[in-house]
Amino acid sequence: MARLSLRGIKKRFRTADVLHGIDLEIGDREFAVFVGPSGCGKSTLLRLIAGLDPITEGEFFLNDQRMNDVPPSRRGIAMVFQSYALYPHMDVYENMAFGARLMGLSKQEVEGRIADTARMLRLEALLKRKPRELSGGQRQRVAIGRALVRKPEVFLLDEPLSNLDAALRSEVRLEIAKLHRDIGGTMVYVTHDQVEAMTLADKIVVMNAGRIEQVGSPRELYETPANTFVATFIGSPRMTLIDVASDGARLSLANGGSVATGPLPSAPSLKLGLRPDAVRLTRGHFEDGLWATVVYTEYLGDNAYVYSRLADGTLLAARTTPNDLYAPDEAVTVTVEPSSAHYFSAEDGRRLAL
Amino acid sequence: MTGRGLWITALIVPPLAFVALFIVYPIVSAFAYAFFDWQGLRRLDFVGLENFHTVLFVEPYRSWTLNAFKNNVIVFFALMVLQNGLGFILAYALWRELPGARFHRIAVFLPVVLSTIIVAYLFKLFYHPLFGVVNISLKGLGLGFLAQPWLGQSGTALWSIIVAQAWHMVGFPTLVFLAGMQRIPGEILDAVRMETESEWVKITKIVWPLVAPSATIVFTLLFVGAFNWFELPYIMGGLDGSPFGSTDVLGLYFYRTAFGNVSSGQQDFGLGSALAVLIFIFIALVAGVITTRLRAREIQL
Repeated sequence: MARLSLRGIKKRFRTADVLHGIDLEIGDREFAVFVGPSGCGKSTLLRLIAGLDPITEGEFFLNDQRMNDVPPSRRGIAMVFQSYALYPHMDVYENMAFGARLMGLSKQEVEGRIADTARMLRLEALLKRKPRELSGGQRQRVAIGRALVRKPEVFLLDEPLSNLDAALRSEVRLEIAKLHRDIGGTMVYVTHDQVEAMTLADKIVVMNAGRIEQVGSPRELYETPANTFVATFIGSPRMTLIDVASDGARLSLANGGSVATGPLPSAPSLKLGLRPDAVRLTRGHFEDGLWATVVYTEYLGDNAYVYSRLADGTLLAARTTPNDLYAPDEAVTVTVEPSSAHYFSAEDGRRLAL
Repeated sequence: MTGRGLWITALIVPPLAFVALFIVYPIVSAFAYAFFDWQGLRRLDFVGLENFHTVLFVEPYRSWTLNAFKNNVIVFFALMVLQNGLGFILAYALWRELPGARFHRIAVFLPVVLSTIIVAYLFKLFYHPLFGVVNISLKGLGLGFLAQPWLGQSGTALWSIIVAQAWHMVGFPTLVFLAGMQRIPGEILDAVRMETESEWVKITKIVWPLVAPSATIVFTLLFVGAFNWFELPYIMGGLDGSPFGSTDVLGLYFYRTAFGNVSSGQQDFGLGSALAVLIFIFIALVAGVITTRLRAREIQL
């Protein structure tokens, strides 16, 4: 059992405010992912949960127990670091045994736990090696093993995949997902990679500039982003935002054509959000649709992305079939799949209800 | 020879010649001096190992050698604790950014840049039996019974000089250890903090093993320094290692034997050179062993 509850958490480093009041609940056995651009405060928040940095203001509860003043080693929390942070002078076995012994476990208990963990993470053959004799992926597993041996209630992972190469990354990602299923602890995972967030999380926490932009399941974030930040952060290629004028039935772009997209929110001007698969391209300029000029095409094998420039200069990404390639400077007309369009306020970027 | 080869030769030969003439030649000739009998500056017969035998086994040289050597050993171990041990603790405190770390980082290192002569005279004044700051402070604190002629009695003289040396040089090991600690990645420390809050465990199990390269440097240099110790005892205790040889160390003893001193006026290059050779071999051997032994336990970060 491990429920985390953050209430009005603020963090200030000297004069710089890094977190401006974070309220968040993470349930038992939940896999929560903090995602956001660099400098958004996601790692800072993780360090506050770990207890490595003091909380300036607000309260952090773990299972209804206030944790603000509890030292990191007494919180029942283990952390996997970005650089793995293995002890370079200890072999793999000692790295895992160090924390377990400090918990006051008996010798047999420590040995048993390490044997179990080593089996689960396929580390048996590596127990006598020093960290410098291991590959990146192996170090990663040892770092996870070191956390597992302590049987913590909460696992914190700080960008654990960022030092691995691309092929290994997806492999370890799967292993982490499996691990979460097998051991069932509460996990908090920090990343700037939205693919990791989407594939691993039960709950994604999108952060920006020290604030939470939205909390939700991957599907919620993708289908109903709360604002333009979340809308453009989740999804690749990113959602195109177009400033359009609305007359209640059609959305139009000055000297750039207009589209009918079904029911519209009642606002004279708004931001139209289009993911690459929400638009269709037709060659030539037609009455019904937004006019654009192709800039370039990305061919990816199973599909292709066409980037074209609208009349107001916005670059629009559209997914097409790989058979449907467009030449640069070709004139196209963009029509919209009404059910996939997103509408945001022109003033503050909030999602507009229909 | 190619143009490049000529260039290299032209650049290497002059410094090599300089080193050979002013460093290698004197060392080799000092070795050679040790095997001859001398009368003042006049070289007499080749005497083989006679000089070595004299300084090691013939009285009174034998007891002088042993006494000086014993004092050097005391100095080495005392400074190991007072200078390197304290240096490690200071470095740890500075590294943890305790309040005032910025000021103390400079304050601790400042004495190192002072001239040894200045430090020696300063401490000679501090230890003055009548108006020295040490005794005056003790009296002021009501501990007047502890006031004593620090440099004037056999029991305290060597230790007083050792304390002055530790004060003078403690900044050096501090700096080396601090540099070593700053190389430890921050995430490793965070990882330890996730597992324990005991400073003792952090220091003994993580920090100490990881600053092993700094320890190698500091231990080796201290060993060489302790057995070559000269300036401070020379100024504070005098060439005879007074009182009664209690501050005599190998450096002073060698100097006295080779070049003579005011009281005895004797000088004997042969015996002096024999001592110098013995000191050199001893330091080279032990420093070599220390370095290889300590190197083996260093960890590449």
